[in-house]
Amino acid sequence: MDDLFAPPGSPWQRVSPRLAVVRRWLLLVAALLGVVVAVALHLLLDGPWWLLTAVLAVGAVLLGWAWWLVGRNARRWGYAEEDEELYITRGALFRKLVVVPYGRMQYVDVEAGPLDQANGIAKLHLHTASPGTTAVIPGLRAEEAARLRDRLTARGESRAAGL
Amino acid sequence: MNAHDEQRFRRLSPLTPVARAPIVLLAVVGTSWQQLISQGVGVFSIMLGALLVAGGAYGVASWVRTKYWIDGDELRIDTGVVVRQSRRIRIDRLQGIDIVQPLVARLMGLAELKFDLASGGDREGSLAFLPHREALELRSSLLDRRDDLRDGPSEGAASAGGTPPRAPAPEVRLATLQLGPLVGSLLLSTEALLMLVSGVALVVTFLFTGAFLLAGGLAPALIGLALALARKLTSYYGFTLSDSAAGLHVRRGLTSLSSQTIARARIQGLLVTEPLLWRPFGWAKLDVSVAGYKTSDPDLVQASSTLMPVAPRAEIHALVHRVLGRGVSGVPLTAPPRRARWVAPLTAWTMAVGQDAELVVSRRGFWHRRVDIVPQARVQSVRLAQGPLQRRLRLADVHVDSPPGPVRLLAEARDEVEARALLEHTVTLGHAARQRPPQPSAGRGSWEPPEMTQ
Repeated sequence: MDDLFAPPGSPWQRVSPRLAVVRRWLLLVAALLGVVVAVALHLLLDGPWWLLTAVLAVGAVLLGWAWWLVGRNARRWGYAEEDEELYITRGALFRKLVVVPYGRMQYVDVEAGPLDQANGIAKLHLHTASPGTTAVIPGLRAEEAARLRDRLTARGESRAAGL
Repeated sequence: MNAHDEQRFRRLSPLTPVARAPIVLLAVVGTSWQQLISQGVGVFSIMLGALLVAGGAYGVASWVRTKYWIDGDELRIDTGVVVRQSRRIRIDRLQGIDIVQPLVARLMGLAELKFDLASGGDREGSLAFLPHREALELRSSLLDRRDDLRDGPSEGAASAGGTPPRAPAPEVRLATLQLGPLVGSLLLSTEALLMLVSGVALVVTFLFTGAFLLAGGLAPALIGLALALARKLTSYYGFTLSDSAAGLHVRRGLTSLSSQTIARARIQGLLVTEPLLWRPFGWAKLDVSVAGYKTSDPDLVQASSTLMPVAPRAEIHALVHRVLGRGVSGVPLTAPPRRARWVAPLTAWTMAVGQDAELVVSRRGFWHRRVDIVPQARVQSVRLAQGPLQRRLRLADVHVDSPPGPVRLLAEARDEVEARALLEHTVTLGHAARQRPPQPSAGRGSWEPPEMTQ
């Protein structure tokens, strides 16, 4: 772990590995669609077999790469609740770290799509007055997301009142 | 609240229906007149006439139904012909009141009052139209009332007990836009440069080919650019900035006058820009990010957040000093390391960033040199970002987020260790700045949604 994205005090809380499961399912669906389109085009245009084989082979390599990227990315998500602010880090290739003071939070959203719900995870989105603040934590276990939301809201209220 | 003395309602100007829809009126009259001449009284013109009468009747009815009055600490506006609406605007929540005069209204001596409640949404109220003098009076009485309410009930009660009403706060004129720099800055703008280039391209192709080959593509672009320039000229014409207890007043406009009050407490950041072409003349532009302005309309945001479209650099710095209550030159700026040139070969030498207990400042850009200034107490969040190339060079970007507006504070391509220290510093300094007692009237209700009943 490098110093630039080191945790502020307490170690990073990592998100659930279920995040990678959900994203890999989405990846598989997209890959399946790609195969269907490629085969349909092949039959319609009566293209040569070697072309279809080459396209599918490249697709398979890309899928494998994306499969690995998803796993790596999911492991890099992390957050830390400090006394006065929330730290969130993410990204493997393009690394990010955002710090949001509790007193600056406007509201907190928790959302979970059908696939998220089936896997028992949820996404937490923290809003400030600035649209530049991209404070999102995906792949939280549902009860952890609810706990974090309540905690953040409570802290936000007490800090904002102290302004 | 005393029910008997303040319940008397007032109406808008009786000319309102006429001023409301002048273009529709003209169009309807124009087309039906043509129809009458060419075809006599046809079904079409009868329908149009009926529409006109109905529209007029609706306008008059709406004027009759629209009443406003000050009810205790609320401004009440009742409207609606079919569905009646009653809107209550809490006076102490008013962030500013703008006076707007579209061309037709201006010719008729009318003005519209727009109430800014810092909700950032479409729920803001407006009163259109009032006689100009009445609009001015209503604005100043509402702002006085607001200040009384904000100063607390004890003082309000004291002033109600026989002391004469407070005299309107003296206004100090801070700066006036000179016509010379305005025209000059427009001629030296990117738009004018593009016009010149496309004009030259047009002439050159004509000389070589004997035909306006590019005219089809370039003519609309030329017209668009000319219109953009003309709009800047008319909206910035007569720009004056003055200062009073209520905040900063901006007045501007050639065809449509607008006047606007920006409370100091709502200013979230400042931006000084010096385009390359202006630099020989030493000109600069000053914009501010203001909390609560709508972001859906980019024109509105850009126009309403400009404190001075163009002025000599010294004057801009004096204005910055005036707005912040201190100068920016005291903030020590440092440049990124030399290896930053690998990620930003053209602009690395223009970059610098620094902060002290009150301000964060960043400078960058060659074509558009910009200095972004954000008070520590206004920082919303701080971000670090590092791409693969930057990681190899041990560099990172630090973003300091503030509410929507022109200000984008960014420390680009800093050394890794320094970037992390910068982030931690901004976080602690921001925390300390928020703990300090706020400036007078700062932060009071600035982000709560206004309370209205409908």
